[in-house]
Amino acid sequence: MATLTATTLLDPSIHARRWIADYCAKRRAGDVLCDAGESVAWTAMFEEIATVAGDDLGQARERVQHHADDIGTGFSIPGDTEERPWPLSPVPLLIDSAEWAHISAGVVQRAELLEHVVADLYGDAKLVEKGLIPAALTAGSPYYLRPMAGLQPPGDHHLYFVAFDLGRGPTGEWRVLADHLRAPAGAGYALENRLAISRAFGGLQTKLNIERHAPFFAAFRDGLAAACRRSEPRIGLLTPGRYSISYAEQAHLARYLGFLFVEGADLAALEDKLYVRTIGGLKRIDAIWHRIDPRFLDPLALDSHSQIGVPGLVDVMAAGNTVVANAPGAGVPESAAFAAFLPRICARETGRDLILPNIATWWCGQERARASVIEDLDNLLIGPAFGVQPLGLDSLNPVPGAEITGAARARLLADIALRPQDYVGQEIVRLSTMPVVTEAGLVPRPFTLRVFAARGADGQWTVMPGGFARIGAAPDVRASVMGEGTWSADVAIHGPEPVDAVSLLPPADTVHIRRNPGTLPSRVADNFFWLGRYLERGEALLNIIRVMLGNSIDADAGGALGPETIGRLVGLVINGGGATKPASLKRTDLMQFVRTALESEETHSVRAINRLARGIGKGSRDRLAADFVRLLDAPYPTRGGMLDRTGSLQRRYAALAGLSAEHMGRTAAWRFHDLGRRIERALTMARAVPTFGMAGTGTDDLSTLLDLADSQISYRQRYLTGIARVPVVDLVALDPGNPRSLAYQIERIVEHLRALPVLGDDGMEEDQQAQANTLLAGVLTANAARLSEPTLKQAERRLYGLSDAIARRYFLQGAEPLRAAGMTLA
Amino acid sequence: MIYDIRHITRFDYQGSVRFARCNLRLQPIDWPGQELLDYKLVISPSGRTFPARAEAGLAHVMRLVVEDPVKFLSIESISRIAVDRPAPVPSADDPTLAEVAAAARVSRDPSAAGPAAYLFPSPRIPLDRDIGEWCAADLQPDRPVLEAGMALAQRIRREFQFDTEATLIDTSPHEAFVKRAGVCQDLAQIMITGLRTAGLPAAYASGYIRTIPPPGKTRLVGADATHAWVLLWCGARIGWVGLDPTNGIWMANDHIIMAIGRDYGDIAPIDGIVLGAGAQKLDVSVDVAPEVEEVAA
Repeated sequence: MATLTATTLLDPSIHARRWIADYCAKRRAGDVLCDAGESVAWTAMFEEIATVAGDDLGQARERVQHHADDIGTGFSIPGDTEERPWPLSPVPLLIDSAEWAHISAGVVQRAELLEHVVADLYGDAKLVEKGLIPAALTAGSPYYLRPMAGLQPPGDHHLYFVAFDLGRGPTGEWRVLADHLRAPAGAGYALENRLAISRAFGGLQTKLNIERHAPFFAAFRDGLAAACRRSEPRIGLLTPGRYSISYAEQAHLARYLGFLFVEGADLAALEDKLYVRTIGGLKRIDAIWHRIDPRFLDPLALDSHSQIGVPGLVDVMAAGNTVVANAPGAGVPESAAFAAFLPRICARETGRDLILPNIATWWCGQERARASVIEDLDNLLIGPAFGVQPLGLDSLNPVPGAEITGAARARLLADIALRPQDYVGQEIVRLSTMPVVTEAGLVPRPFTLRVFAARGADGQWTVMPGGFARIGAAPDVRASVMGEGTWSADVAIHGPEPVDAVSLLPPADTVHIRRNPGTLPSRVADNFFWLGRYLERGEALLNIIRVMLGNSIDADAGGALGPETIGRLVGLVINGGGATKPASLKRTDLMQFVRTALESEETHSVRAINRLARGIGKGSRDRLAADFVRLLDAPYPTRGGMLDRTGSLQRRYAALAGLSAEHMGRTAAWRFHDLGRRIERALTMARAVPTFGMAGTGTDDLSTLLDLADSQISYRQRYLTGIARVPVVDLVALDPGNPRSLAYQIERIVEHLRALPVLGDDGMEEDQQAQANTLLAGVLTANAARLSEPTLKQAERRLYGLSDAIARRYFLQGAEPLRAAGMTLA
Repeated sequence: MIYDIRHITRFDYQGSVRFARCNLRLQPIDWPGQELLDYKLVISPSGRTFPARAEAGLAHVMRLVVEDPVKFLSIESISRIAVDRPAPVPSADDPTLAEVAAAARVSRDPSAAGPAAYLFPSPRIPLDRDIGEWCAADLQPDRPVLEAGMALAQRIRREFQFDTEATLIDTSPHEAFVKRAGVCQDLAQIMITGLRTAGLPAAYASGYIRTIPPPGKTRLVGADATHAWVLLWCGARIGWVGLDPTNGIWMANDHIIMAIGRDYGDIAPIDGIVLGAGAQKLDVSVDVAPEVEEVAA
């Protein structure tokens, strides 16, 4: 026993040391692991991996990937090709706190400098006046937005959240490869990576004293709030919409930060203030953190082709009423050409050098720089100065001058002679490597590091401790060929001091208790309503299909339904658009009919309804529970016969209904979801009762009606005498005690509409409430024996009318711009 | 010369417009050689207008908000403007194209009136190798700038067909170039493409030209609508000079500038968003009349 324990304890250490020794035996210069020497931290990290995965690095990789996928399903979009842009490597990048302090100081300095530059460019333009930058450097940038000139941004800052890509050179020096100022992406991936790594290797955090991310996000949130005029501001995260590649990351960040997740159509600029359209009317928005190409933020002041922005947003900014992070136009220094000027601007304006240097850059718009670039072309990269492809290059990425030869070089030189301002020369940057797990074990690969900084409540910059690393696929260490990378890795800042366990949750005594969880945008209400309707519709159609399959086709003759009843079921499916009229009611034709209703691509089949529901779910994923999304996104079942597939889908729909009934918070969003379900279910009954329950229908029909209403058991418990028409109709249509009855649905609808906000304070009922009350009065006073087909048809029409009234009152309907482009050339 | 200009734009909507929010860039700017004497904007049936924050561009921007449902919208822009702008006279002493290009690159004027903003491709006028090569025949780097500019404008006038059927508002310069046909907008865009591809700062001007020709002269093309032409920056001494490739002439006393931008997208006379409309029908009429006494004189 004692020996065994000793071996287990020793093993991880042995594995870790061997991995490192093997890796560094074959090392080249400039690798973070080997440069660290006999690093306690790296050894401890590999020991932790070995403790979990034994001597099997492949297993470590799978384990991490499993956790990443698991977290990912909570907020990424399964089925999309961009689900996880970069698979997560199990080996984090370790940076010790002393080295990080240097990087961090450089990041803060750069963020401050860029704020100074952007403020100047849109302000008094002193830098141009002093000759520190030529006017063409600003004008050439497609990110320069002239309409923002002279606008003092609310909160007095242009930048609130920035990201930089850093590269570590072969001798360990860090430099800046790229600035991200317009709508920096990736902070969500950093969060996700950290979560996956800590789940896979739980001991790392305390073993290495790794700094946490939460305080950084709290600082960002507080910083944005502090910039607002109102003391309890409402902040929105403005997304380009669910087709954006990083939509899932945005949804996750909105939820994590407690920001309202909104699209342009949710917002309205009125009288110099910004509002979100909610079910309770227009509500003020004090700040937005946007993830939109800034040119599209306002179709009125900026690009008139934008369909995703908010017309009038810039006027609202000019009035000082809404903080926009980052201010549109702040992206100017992202141009490659800007790097040629930043070192000098820093030295002249602050009296200090850049702590983290740029890529050494020469802008050919200056005569001397052009001459030296042409002379040294074979040793430099040549690339676009402003992110716009010049006529002399075939690529938007910088390419080694030495690789441009013959006719291509002649063309390049001819265009540089005419338009030198379109080109930059850059030094060829080489990157350090870090270990990554492949089939061949640990191998070195070049990496870049994306770091993030946010402005805190005191206006000072806070740097996220870590960020995320991107790792190249090939061993080539030239930064220009690494591209976007193939893997990502967590970045852990470790130090000698233990780290406090801070989370984003504020101390309990500083939070007001609020039972009404905020504001529900009209678009989200719309989504939840239709999600409810589609899920219920799918369930109802599955019910019909099961009745047809179970009782008519596969069962023996004794249990089969009569042809009249089958005909009525077929009619019900046809009316709902699930399938078209079968050639006959013979078995083969019926089987084909049912298959169409279940999974045709051309009709309103279960499969098509399922897809609609899934699409809507994507648009509201920041508000749906992970389990719900997982069920909704589960692939369409392909195993077994039709009856098996139907059963499997029915169980899935039942689980979704259960989740919404039992697990969704009783928020306004839930009410809309349930409203959708109730209206759809009421419609189903309003159609089924006149089809199967009128005078002259037989026992098969009545039994089918009980099946469709899922009320066989309730009926038998109540009536021991066998099936009779009037009691059946009463149970499925009028009995408010039966949760499947028409009356029950309408009662719930009335309750929901009573609980939802009304616009007026005069106590008068709104249109949708009045319509629901009329319906309720109808079913409460009805009598099963006299319930006629016209009465039920009228109820069906009224339910449609009610659905429209709800949409008119609560949803966005027609608020989307129909034309946002230039209207005329006169 | 004093002009009275009446520019009426009328939209008729199939459905009813519930809300509209537009930019009006109709009021002519002040610019060397022209002075706005009087201006009036009439909106019917109703609408609220207010000046947009000075956007530092070379356009007057008014915002129009229509909050009540309307079936039509009529926007009438009435200007009285004095123009006194002699045509430039080319000289062998003018700076060369290479000198102009170099001066623009190092300019310290970041304003919308400086040359820097017009050195670069813009959303509707990208650089184009084919157009660049075609224009290069007139744009030798050592040629004096005014002479070269007029040579290019006149070659476009000669070799392109003015054809209102050939192109649409969103036709790219390249497409019009391949057709060798188009309207004032296309010809101006092609000329700007050629100038910018050669490294020169060129802007897009929209405005009017006089409707009724002076006695004995032919009527100018483009007079019954708004017109578009090119401004070329010719170095700090000469500054901006207007060239009209549709008519092959200088911008002088027959031209009235409404707005100047990198391309049409910066200065569309009317753009914005309209909620709830179906199809729209558009009628535009422009009348540019010299003051009666002037014609008589």
